[in-house]
Amino acid sequence: MRISLTPRAALAALIPLPVVVLWPSWWMLLTLFVLWALVILADAFAAPAPTAIRVRREAPIQVRLGNEVTGRLLLTNTTARAAHLEVRDAWNPTAGLAAQRTTIRVPAHERRAISQHFTPTRRGEHSSRALLVASCGPLGLARRTTRADAPGRLLALHPFGARRHLPSRVQRLREIEGLAAIHQRGQGTEFDSLRDFVDGDDVRSIDWRATARRRSVVVRTWRPERDRHVLIVVDTSRTSASRLGDATRLDSAFDAALLLTALAGQAGDRVDLLCIDRIPHVSVLGSTRTKVLHDMVTATAAVHPALVETDWDRAAGVIADRARRGSLVVLVTPVDASVVHTGLLPVAARLAKDRPLVVASVADPALEELAADRSDVEDVYRAAAAEKARAERAGVSRTLERVGAHVVDAPPDSAPQALADAYLALKAAGRL
Amino acid sequence: MSAPTVSRRSPTPPSTPPVGALDSGRSSATPETTRRRPWLTILVAIAVLAAVLASVARGVYRDGPLEPDAPTEQGSKATVQVLRDLGVDVQTDRHTDDAVEALDAGRTVLVTAPSDLSGQQLTALAEAQEDDGGQLVLVQPDFVTLSYFTSAISPTGSLRTEADLTAGPGCGDLAHGARQVHVPGAEGLRGSSSVYRTADGAEGCFDSGDGSLVAAEDGIIVLGSADLLTNAGISEAENSALVLNVLGESGELTWYVPSAGDPMGSSGQSLVGYLPDWAGPVALWILAVGVIAMVALGRRFGPVVVEPLPVTVRPQELVLGRARLLQRSDARDAAATSLRSATSTRLADRLGLRHESALDGLLAALAPHTDRSPEQLRTLLGPTPVTTDEDLVRLAQDLDRLEKEIDR
Repeated sequence: MRISLTPRAALAALIPLPVVVLWPSWWMLLTLFVLWALVILADAFAAPAPTAIRVRREAPIQVRLGNEVTGRLLLTNTTARAAHLEVRDAWNPTAGLAAQRTTIRVPAHERRAISQHFTPTRRGEHSSRALLVASCGPLGLARRTTRADAPGRLLALHPFGARRHLPSRVQRLREIEGLAAIHQRGQGTEFDSLRDFVDGDDVRSIDWRATARRRSVVVRTWRPERDRHVLIVVDTSRTSASRLGDATRLDSAFDAALLLTALAGQAGDRVDLLCIDRIPHVSVLGSTRTKVLHDMVTATAAVHPALVETDWDRAAGVIADRARRGSLVVLVTPVDASVVHTGLLPVAARLAKDRPLVVASVADPALEELAADRSDVEDVYRAAAAEKARAERAGVSRTLERVGAHVVDAPPDSAPQALADAYLALKAAGRL
Repeated sequence: MSAPTVSRRSPTPPSTPPVGALDSGRSSATPETTRRRPWLTILVAIAVLAAVLASVARGVYRDGPLEPDAPTEQGSKATVQVLRDLGVDVQTDRHTDDAVEALDAGRTVLVTAPSDLSGQQLTALAEAQEDDGGQLVLVQPDFVTLSYFTSAISPTGSLRTEADLTAGPGCGDLAHGARQVHVPGAEGLRGSSSVYRTADGAEGCFDSGDGSLVAAEDGIIVLGSADLLTNAGISEAENSALVLNVLGESGELTWYVPSAGDPMGSSGQSLVGYLPDWAGPVALWILAVGVIAMVALGRRFGPVVVEPLPVTVRPQELVLGRARLLQRSDARDAAATSLRSATSTRLADRLGLRHESALDGLLAALAPHTDRSPEQLRTLLGPTPVTTDEDLVRLAQDLDRLEKEIDR
């Protein structure tokens, strides 16, 4: 417990000034100072002990980034005196707590609440580093401060901005599955049903035997496979720390991974997630279809890029453990000459041999801008360098495709949709 | 899928760090960890030690005009040292009281800056000199100062130019064995030297025409220039003979350097004296209130909170660096090649050609879509050398325009 002065204590020290003028002696000064100090001490000890104030926190557990959430601090005064309290709840700045300091009066044996509004500006874990309660004396000259024990944590979840693209992709999925009324032949291996031929159906899907039994032409429909396994592997190494637009590459990667998870959940597939750089460190494995999205959002909330290289050999081992033959593996990593040369290529070749492999990459939109600007010499050289970089990326994509991977390379605002479309294309083609 | 779990573990050995412990960037760093910098403390300590050692090596002395311990040009260490070597007992005084005592004891007293003294101090010195006859040496006194001691000597002018003054025939003992003295002009320690006229009873020596540089009357010796005594000036001509003989005559010398801290020097009632007697206590009290206010306002309510920000990297550095390298080495052809191949690839895509198809195939496919001649197209897309920066810019813009044409 600490005793501290208020600005009013300094004002109070001005009151004995006339006494000093009337009896100007050093002894008088000393006496007055001692008197002042006694008054301050008396005021401090007349304040209700801050340790007798019970603090309870009703904090929200998590919030989607960009939303506001409200919590409460409940202060109970267990003493017989009214308490004038100053409270500081020291959250880290990006937790977006509107007011860290509050002044409140709690009457004797009563409870008051301080409501707190959080608008986090950074994804990840936020916490209150300290909660300080200061109790002011009745004269307001001094206060006693103590640290209350009420830990606070708030998880700011990924905003998942790509979820607005989910309905259109789910619609496409239904079309593929044949649940929606659409003239399309299912491409799966699982026989679904027979139905009447309508204009536009593929003639190859006509079931001649059934047609012979009936008067009308009958087509056979299949539905895509359900209950397949999708393993999403997100690279969290230094390349994911690049700032593209106003978010890092990793944020866009998670956006894409979450959209794919939601879509695959609708398609009836099981989704697992692995975040990997030098070591695999966050994974969501074996969640039920209904809970997987929630689990994944929670698990990825606190993952941030690390300035290390990805160990692709170790990653390949982990992926081989997790993904059986035939399950879809999605590697979310930039298609970059440097990444590919650090060992992605042989790993991709090995993985693509007995399972479909998608390499999803978030491209840098600034490259396109640099390549398009050709107004003076400096810009032209920049455009040339940007074109070279794009050509290199295209080359790397082709190399990856040659070993059997499907490459999706798109800027941040279209990467999630592109990955979802690639998944749907695989579904429609019966590759999954 | 028997036991659905969300695991946050590493399948690698259990000793590997769990989530959040991989590096400081992703862990929530404890806010209390204050980073001390021991090397900074060591550096400051070394600097202080070096300063102390340097001052010890330099020797502790007080620097100032005619300071007896100062080895600088304006000091008088040389004079004092030689006097001591000659067996003269040299003492340094800074207060008028001590100088008066020395005069009473019959010692020779040198006043290095008589013009700095107040009337009270000058009177005390003059009285002591008259009573006991100790010798008083004044360095370049002005008219008012001299009037306290004698009326027979008065300043008449100054030597603005560098001059060598010879002891005239009428000098007698006053020359103290020096035949010629040297004084600098207006660049001297206290400006130009003064010369004095002597009336009856006083003697003068080293005449400059206007008056004498050295004058004496009845135990008072006036030296017209401070430069006779400095480390820089003592070695000129025969200054040393004059100075050493004047100061060493009695064997006991008090070197009186007037100081501002002299109790007799303060000119009585100062501004502070007019304040009422409660001013001091009130000022102290207000100071104390100010300190209290600063303590009260400077209170830090709780710790400073540290934000564990994630790392971000600018992705275009490599591209921009490569662009600057290309530009510095004037690699116009390399730049042109990369621009052309990018355009060719995109055009070939748009026209449905294979990427590998040769330039001729692309040109043939382009011809019906554009109104440029095949030669123009070949210059644009083929490996034509680019010689100037303007050509490169024009090429880049033409390629851009071509792409937009085909777009339509």
